[in-house]
Amino acid sequence: MPAVIVTGSGGGMGRAIVARLQHRGLRVAGFDRAPSPEADHSEIVDLTDAGGTAAAVSRASAALGPIDGFVSAAGHYSSIPFTDVTDAEAAGMLDVHLGAFFRVAQALLPGMIEREHGSIVAVASELAVGGGERDSHYAAAKGAVLGAVRSLAAEVAPAGVRVNAVAPGPTDTPMLPSDSPWRDPEYLRALPTRALASPDEVARCVEFLICSGTFVTGETLHPNSGAVI
Amino acid sequence: MSKPHTPSSVRRIALVTGAAGGLGTAQVEALSEAGMQVVAHARTASHRLDALAERTGAIPAVRDLADPEATRALVRETVESTGRLDVLVANHATMSMSALVAADPDEWWRVVRTNLLGTFALTQEAVRAMRAHGDGGRIVIISSEWGVTGWPNASAYAASKAGLISLVKCLGRELAPEGILVNAIAPGVIDTPQLQVDADDAGVDLQTMHGRYAEGIPLGRVGHATEIAEAVRFLADPALAAMAGQIMQINGGATRGRV
Repeated sequence: MPAVIVTGSGGGMGRAIVARLQHRGLRVAGFDRAPSPEADHSEIVDLTDAGGTAAAVSRASAALGPIDGFVSAAGHYSSIPFTDVTDAEAAGMLDVHLGAFFRVAQALLPGMIEREHGSIVAVASELAVGGGERDSHYAAAKGAVLGAVRSLAAEVAPAGVRVNAVAPGPTDTPMLPSDSPWRDPEYLRALPTRALASPDEVARCVEFLICSGTFVTGETLHPNSGAVI
Repeated sequence: MSKPHTPSSVRRIALVTGAAGGLGTAQVEALSEAGMQVVAHARTASHRLDALAERTGAIPAVRDLADPEATRALVRETVESTGRLDVLVANHATMSMSALVAADPDEWWRVVRTNLLGTFALTQEAVRAMRAHGDGGRIVIISSEWGVTGWPNASAYAASKAGLISLVKCLGRELAPEGILVNAIAPGVIDTPQLQVDADDAGVDLQTMHGRYAEGIPLGRVGHATEIAEAVRFLADPALAAMAGQIMQINGGATRGRV
């Protein structure tokens, strides 16, 4: 049975992604800072640590067999006015999003290319497409992921590996606190669908790209409630 | 607020236009397999359409969508025969190739009229039908990679398909508040009978034509109709309501996110 690594597997989106992929018959290795009890294999890992990440990928592969799927859903959000963003905060955002994507993808790609089979999905953000105030460091990091996805897609397509992204809009997860501006009724009324995306809807997009979208690569799906059209 | 949705006791009804073509046939099969009652439209009666209806349980419907009145009648007849409409897949299209300066204006406009105005009339009538039951709906409009990138000698087709992308963006915004989600799929080169036409035009055999197209596609092959049909099924799913006004580009990596 094919196996897939999901990072951020303990988060609101991550848990929904694990569930949908398992529903499709995949075995899932969950990578997070805390255990992922729903996953078939759980790794507690700091994705900013290259050696630790590579070792976790090896253990997951030893436990579940060849890993042909990777969903990069680990993330971190903060809202800071552009002029207040420190070098450390900007670099940290890049490392959490782009760096973690690179490290896991680099560990998995040799095997995928050898088997001529693989599918990678990075969870980006609607903010990487449409931007948002006080989001420059976050949007830059997520935008960098989209650039990496498109380039990697072109690079590994001849080897039969697909690379895509999902750019969710504001999603109803614990990452969105109850006082978040995205939960403000006035904001929701301005959204075309009038509702936040649900983690399951984001997970359905990931599931499509991993399991069904066999002629899709370099593409981004946008479950964003119509926030960016 | 709760999103409008079809009660689970009700069988969802889908209308697929251009169902006798390569893409449409696979869409009818996928939506039927997903449990929907499909009305399969084609411009002319054919053994192919009858066989599809026989195989999937779809209801065949023959109309020329170059005629707006016939187009509206198709939707009304769908509702009359099935009771409701939940999903519209605007898949029909016509194409003719010509350099712009040499183009016959009547032929140029026939392409735009069928692809863009036909979809306009179809969608307008479908929205009325979806509003009648108030459970929302899904509209999937089949655009084209050439509507994103343009293509030499395909100005009428590309303009009509680019027009569909703008139509989807507007309707995505306009109709999402009532639970009618409008999205587009822009397929790249897909293995349909059209490729034989292209091969005949180029004076080569089908396999050579496949190879020529594949050279421009990162995945190194043309697509299959089932790969577009899977995306139609995905967008038609009532459990997915967060996508509105979006364009899914399915082309083996040829455009990579360009819209």
